[in-house]
Amino acid sequence: MRCKDPIIVVKDLYVNFYTYAGVVKAINGVSFEICRGETYCLVGETGCGKSVTSRALTRLIKSPGRIEKGEIYFYPEPGKKIDIMKLSDEEIRKIRGYDIAYIFQDPSASLDPLYTIGYHVAETMAFHGVVQSIKEGIKKAAQVLRLAKMPDPESRVRAFPHELSGGMKQRAVIGMSLANRPKLLIADEPTTALDVTIQAQIMNFLKELKEKENLTLLLITHNMGLVAEMCDTVAVMYAGEIVEEAPVEELFKNPLHPYTRGLMRAVPKHVGKNVTLESIPGTVPNLIFPPPGCRFHPRCPYRFDPCDKKRPPLIEIEKNHKVACWLYAKEGGKR
Amino acid sequence: MATKEAEEVYEKKVLDRVSDAFVDALANLFDKIRPGWKVRNQARVDEWKLMFYAFNRSPIGIAGAVLVAIFIIIAIIGPWIAPFSYGTSLALCNQTAYLAHPGTVVKIPKGCEALGVKPGTYRLILGGDSFGRDLFSRILYGARTSFVVMILVLLVGPWIGVALGLISGYYGGAVDETIMRITDMFLVFPGLILAIAFSAVLPSRISIFLKDHPWVGSFFLHLFALHPTERGALASLVSVIIALWIVWWPGYARLVRGMVLSEKENTYVEAARALGVSTTSILFRHILPNILGPILVYLSLDSGGVILTEAGLSFLGVGAVPPIADWGRIIYDGSQYFPSAWWLVFFPGLAILLTVLGFNLLGDTLRDILDPRTRRSIEFRLKKKPKTKEEGEEK
Amino acid sequence: MNSKELINYMKSTFGEPMVEVVDLKKYFPVKGVFRTIGYVRAVDGVSFIVPKGKTLGLVGESGCGKTTTGRLILRLIEPTSGHVYFDGKDIFKLKGKKLLEFRRKAQMVFQDPYMSLDPRMTVFDIIMEPIRAHKIKVEDPQKFVVNLLYEVGLNETHLYRYPHEFSGGQRQRIAVARVLALEPEFIVLDEPTSALDVSVQAQILNMLKDLQAKRGLTYLFISHDLGVVRYMSDYIAVMYLGKIVEMGPAEEVFEKPLHPYTKMLFASMPVPDPFEAKKKPKVEVIGEPPSPINPPPGCRFHPRCQYAMDICRKKEPPLVMAEKGHFVACWLYAKK
Ligand SMILES: Nc1ncnc2c1ncn2[C@@H]1O[C@H](COP(=O)(O)OP(=O)(O)OP(=O)(O)O)[C@@H](O)[C@H]1O
Ligand SMILES: Nc1ncnc2c1ncn2[C@@H]1O[C@H](COP(=O)(O)OP(=O)(O)OP(=O)(O)O)[C@@H](O)[C@H]1O
Ligand SMILES: [Mg+2]
Ligand SMILES: [Mg+2]
Repeated sequence: MRCKDPIIVVKDLYVNFYTYAGVVKAINGVSFEICRGETYCLVGETGCGKSVTSRALTRLIKSPGRIEKGEIYFYPEPGKKIDIMKLSDEEIRKIRGYDIAYIFQDPSASLDPLYTIGYHVAETMAFHGVVQSIKEGIKKAAQVLRLAKMPDPESRVRAFPHELSGGMKQRAVIGMSLANRPKLLIADEPTTALDVTIQAQIMNFLKELKEKENLTLLLITHNMGLVAEMCDTVAVMYAGEIVEEAPVEELFKNPLHPYTRGLMRAVPKHVGKNVTLESIPGTVPNLIFPPPGCRFHPRCPYRFDPCDKKRPPLIEIEKNHKVACWLYAKEGGKR
Repeated sequence: MATKEAEEVYEKKVLDRVSDAFVDALANLFDKIRPGWKVRNQARVDEWKLMFYAFNRSPIGIAGAVLVAIFIIIAIIGPWIAPFSYGTSLALCNQTAYLAHPGTVVKIPKGCEALGVKPGTYRLILGGDSFGRDLFSRILYGARTSFVVMILVLLVGPWIGVALGLISGYYGGAVDETIMRITDMFLVFPGLILAIAFSAVLPSRISIFLKDHPWVGSFFLHLFALHPTERGALASLVSVIIALWIVWWPGYARLVRGMVLSEKENTYVEAARALGVSTTSILFRHILPNILGPILVYLSLDSGGVILTEAGLSFLGVGAVPPIADWGRIIYDGSQYFPSAWWLVFFPGLAILLTVLGFNLLGDTLRDILDPRTRRSIEFRLKKKPKTKEEGEEK
Repeated sequence: MNSKELINYMKSTFGEPMVEVVDLKKYFPVKGVFRTIGYVRAVDGVSFIVPKGKTLGLVGESGCGKTTTGRLILRLIEPTSGHVYFDGKDIFKLKGKKLLEFRRKAQMVFQDPYMSLDPRMTVFDIIMEPIRAHKIKVEDPQKFVVNLLYEVGLNETHLYRYPHEFSGGQRQRIAVARVLALEPEFIVLDEPTSALDVSVQAQILNMLKDLQAKRGLTYLFISHDLGVVRYMSDYIAVMYLGKIVEMGPAEEVFEKPLHPYTKMLFASMPVPDPFEAKKKPKVEVIGEPPSPINPPPGCRFHPRCQYAMDICRKKEPPLVMAEKGHFVACWLYAKK
C-alpha cells in the first residue's frame, strides 16, 4: 500500500475491444492507486490505454469495449469504500460528474453548440441536485466560471461555444467539471489541442486550484514536460500495462524500465543540431496480437531469456518505485 | 503471473466460406489475366473478404440482397418461365379467365393455337385481368420491363451528374456557378412532373428515329422481351428512359459536387498537387475512387427509386402502353376493377414494394460496409479455440 | 531598413539563399452572407531567406501563418502580394514546363501522415505517382521503389500494402520516400512529427537529418515544438500573427531571445525535468493570441506584452538587425 488514504484503488483491470480485426487487449492487468490530494500522472504514447484506463474508472467504456475483469474501489471520504464494479448504472451516473469529473482533450466535443455556456454549467449542477433548477444554476454559473479563471464571466454565461476560442472553451469545460466540487478530477490531455502559451496558463491554474480546493488530479498526457512540471507520482504505460511507477523526481533521476529510459532520451531537451538524439527502435505493438511475455521486449535493447515468455510482475524496487521488468525481478536470472 | 491468452478465432459462418471462395476465385481470375495481380493486391482482397464478412453479419442486408437477387433472376428468366405471353387474352377462348380469381382453373379448348396456347387446363395462380390475361405471366414480364428501364437509366443518368459534379466541385468559380444554377433549375421542378413532360414530348421524335434505324428497335425489342408487333410501342418506353436520364442527373451533380468539395480539402489532394500531378489525374485517380463508395450506395437506393418512378409514370398513363406488361400499368388498368378484383392491384403492388424494399435494405447496408470506419466497428462474435490442457490448468 | 536591405543583410550573414522571400502577403477573404466582410491576414509581409544546404526552423503558435507561408513558397496557393525566388527565379511567374521543373525540385511533407496519403493506393503506387506525373523513366520501378523504402527505413515487404496498415511514423516515412523519389533540392517539412509519438519522433527527426547530410538538402522546418526545432535547425524564425518577430542562428535565439514574445513562448514550454521545472522563472502569460482578422494596431503583440510602450500601440516595429545576424521586430531594440 503506497497511500495511507487512497481516493481510488484499481486492481488487475482488463479491458478488451471486440472489433472485426480482432480482440484488442487494450488494458492488460493494470493496478494502481491514487492518494488523496496528489497529482497522479499517466504517461505513455498513443494507444497505450491511458484514456481507456481513465474511462474505466467510472465504467465509461462503450461497446465494442468491455471491462473483462478487475476491481475498482472509490473512497469519496477517508474510510468510506464504494465498489464501482458493483454499482448500478443509475448509481454510477450519480458519481460521474459529481464526485469524479472529467475534462477531455477536445473541448468542443463536450459542448453542445445549441446551448450557452451558462446552460451547460447549470445543467451539470441541476442533474446532481446542487441547484434546484436550471434557472438557478445559470445564476450561479458566472461564479463557477470565475473559479475557472474565465475572463469576464458574467457575459460569457450567455455566450455560445462557437463564440469562444479553444482556450476559453477548455476553461468553460473545466468550469463545468468543477461546478459540483468533485473530489477527483480526471484531465485527459486537457491541453493537447491548445497553444503552449495557453497550456501554460491552464496548467498554472490547475495547480492553484488543486491547492485551494483539495482536489485530487489524475492527469493524462504524453508530454514529459508537463509530467515534470505538474505531477507528484507518475505511472508510465506501455501497450496496455503499467511498466513503471514512481514519484516524479525519482522517475526522472533514476528511470529503471528500458522503455522509460528510452522515452526520456527521445525527448529533445536543449539539444542543438550537432547532437544526435537517441530513439527507441520499432513501433508500438498492435494490441490484437500483443507480443507474448513482456510487451516491450521486441523493442528492448536489454531483452534476454524470460522476456519473450513470461510477463514481468510490477514489483517495488525502492520505496514507492515500482517497475515491471525482468532486469530487476528476482526470478530473471541477472541481478 | 503469466497470462497466456487462449487463442481466439472468429466464428466463420457458412456464408463467410462462400464469400471467401467467391473472392478467392475472383482474385485468381484477375491473376490469370494479369500475372502478379494477386501479390500486388493481397491487401485489397483481404479488404473485400472483410466487406463480405460484415455484410454476412447484417440480416437486413442479406434480406435485401435476397429480394434483389430474386428480382434480377425473375427479370432475366421471367419471360421464359412465364406460362403465357404477356398479351395472351385467354378470355377469347374461355370466358372464365375474365377477371378470374387467383387460383382459378381455366380449360383451354382446341382451336386456340392461334393465341399461342396449347390446349389443356391451366391454373391462373394470381388470377386474370379484364382481358383474361394471366396476371402471373404479366408480372414476370413486368419485372423485365422494370429491370431494363432501371439498368438503362442508371447506366447513364447518374453518371452525367457525376461528371458535372466532379468538374463543378474541383474547378469551382464560374464553372461551378453555371453548372449549379442549371442543376437548380432542374431541381426546382418535381422530378415526376418533369418526367411526365418529357415523356409526353419525346415519343414522336423517337418513333421517327426508330423508323430510320430499325436495328435499334430490334435491339430494344429483344431487351424488353416484346413481340415484333409491339415495335410501335417502343417509342414511349424509350422516351421514359430518356426522360428519366434528364431528371436523374441533377441530384447526383449536387451530391458529387459536395463530396468533391470535402474530398478536395484532404491533404493528400494537396500533396498530389505539390508533387506536380495533373488535374485530370487528381480527379480520376484520387477523388473519384474515394467518392465511389457513397455513389454506389446512392445508385443502389435509387434503383428502387427508378422502378417506383417508372411504375408511377405508367400508372399516370405515360410510358408503357398496352399491352406491354409493366407493373405500374397493371395497377393502373386494374384499379378500375378495385376492390372487387383486388388481386390486380395487390400483386403488382407487392412486387414493386418488395423490389424497392430490397434495394433500399441493400443500399443501407452497403452504406455501412463501404465506409471503412463503420465497417471496422462492427462487433464480431468470438469462438474460443478448444482449450489445451496446459492452458486450462493455468486459468 | 527596407526588405531589400534586410535580405542583403541576411545573405551576408546566413549564406547563399536557396529560397528568398520578399514582402510576402496572403490575405484570405472572410465571406459574409453577400460579400466579403474582412480578411484573415494569414501572412502579412514576411521577408526571409532559406540558406542553401541549411535548415531554417519556423516556429509560432497555431494560426500564426506557418503553414500558409510554406504553401506559398511551394506555390500551392497564390499570394496576395510579394515574391518568392527559388534559385533566383520568381516562382509566381513560372509556367508549364518550368513550373513542373520547380515542382520537382521543391517538395513538401505534411503535418498529418494519416491524411496526406491516398487511402486507396498501395505504397508502390504512392511512391510511383510523382514519377509518373513527371514522366520520368525508371528502368525497374519495383527496384527503384524498394531502394527508396530502404533509404527511409522500410523494406520490400511494405511494397503492396495500404496506408491504413501502417503506424503514423511509418506513414511519415512513406511520405518522405515519395518526396525523395523526385530527388528534390528543397523540402518544406510542415510539422512532420507533431502527429507522432516521442519515441517515433526521434526516429523520423534523425532520418531527416541523415538524409540532409547525405543529399545536401535544404529544409524549411515548420513546428511549434521548440525542442524539436532547436534539434533540427541552423537558423530559426519566430512568427506571431502573420509576421516574423525574431530571426537568427538557432543557438543564439535560444540562448538569448530578444523579443518579449519569444521569451514568453520559451517560458511556456514545459521543461522535461522536474528539478529544472522548479527552478524555472515563472513568466506571466497574458491573454490569448488575437484574431488575425483584426490584428491590433501597432505592434501586434502589444496587448500581451509586459514592456508595451506608447509607440508600440501606434507604430509597427520593423524587423531590424539587433546584433550581427540576429533580427528582431520590437521597439525595445529599434531606433524610433
Ligand atoms: N472504440 C474502440 N474500438 C476499438 N479499439 C479501441 C476503442 N477505443 C480504444 N481502443 C483501443 O484501445 C487502446 C487504448 O486506447 P486509448 O484511447 O486508451 O489510448 P490513449 O493512451 O488514450 O492514446 P492517446 O494518447 O492517443 O489518447 C488502443 O490500442 C485502441 O486501439
Ligand atoms: N484556405 C484558407 N481560407 C481561409 N483562411 C485560412 C485558410 N488557410 C489558413 N487560413 C487562416 O490563416 C491563418 C493562418 O493559418 P496557418 O494554417 O498558416 O497557421 P499555422 O501557423 O500553420 O497553424 P498550425 O500550427 O495550427 O498549423 C489562420 O487564422 C487560418 O484560419
Ligand atoms: Mg487518449
Ligand atoms: Mg499548420
